[in-house]
Amino acid sequence: MAAINRPLFGRRKFLRAAAAAGIAVTLNDLVPSATAQTTGAGMPLPDELVEATLKRLFGNRTFQRGDDKIKLDLPLIAEDGGNVAITVDSILPVSGAAAVSSIYIISEKNRRPMLAKFSFTPDSGRAFVSTAIRLATTTDVRAIAELNDGTLYSVSKHVRVTISGCDMPAQS
Amino acid sequence: MAEVGRVSIRLPSTILQGDVIRVRTLVIHPMEIVQRDKANKIIPKNYHFIHTMTVAFNGKEIMWTELTQGVSQNPSFIFPLKIDKPGKLTVSFADTTGKSYEGAAEVKFS
Repeated sequence: MAAINRPLFGRRKFLRAAAAAGIAVTLNDLVPSATAQTTGAGMPLPDELVEATLKRLFGNRTFQRGDDKIKLDLPLIAEDGGNVAITVDSILPVSGAAAVSSIYIISEKNRRPMLAKFSFTPDSGRAFVSTAIRLATTTDVRAIAELNDGTLYSVSKHVRVTISGCDMPAQS
Repeated sequence: MAEVGRVSIRLPSTILQGDVIRVRTLVIHPMEIVQRDKANKIIPKNYHFIHTMTVAFNGKEIMWTELTQGVSQNPSFIFPLKIDKPGKLTVSFADTTGKSYEGAAEVKFS
């Protein structure tokens, strides 16, 4: 089956529904409620550590080393953390029983480590993606491939970042 | 920023039946980053960034992407696509203001 691995009731949808509910409440009593302030599609997730992100996304499943199955291309030194080219290429198939359903890109030291998720179908032909990401500081970047059968392969690479590309701390 | 939402798609110059091609796409978008106050707390507001990219070929959804503010300004992507027959490729981006930007390209054998 070529069904895309998509949650039936994803976080965005939930947040949008929550925001709509919040607005409905606000219209009633004309006072902006706290929930309407902190939900909505454009409100980022709260800061969290990479361990919390991995637990949220994958539960307690263990990762297998995927160095021979996934190739992760990143520069050794990124001068501009706001634009770091990343390429993830996998020799794992995208069709069959042990097919790659998604590739996650996770930065260990960003304050919201989850950067992007790419879901593939058999029509993709190959589990490959290339994009540009923002890195807050010198960090390990992980690429995690999730298979249909639940197996997780992880590779990581260290990147030195000269100038932060993310939220800078407020000036004191 | 009059150009916000312009989507461009580039296909390889030669495509043969059965090929897995690499499609390059770019969308002009600020991908606004989080702002913090003096106490280093996130300022709550509706940040303007793209949260979903969807790729469809001949009307069938073939790839689905969840993006965050961790993706650079003017995001560009290279993604694979297996071509068995010619058709229309559409790439659409949805952002947090409820807008959707779409780009399309005709895939032909050559």
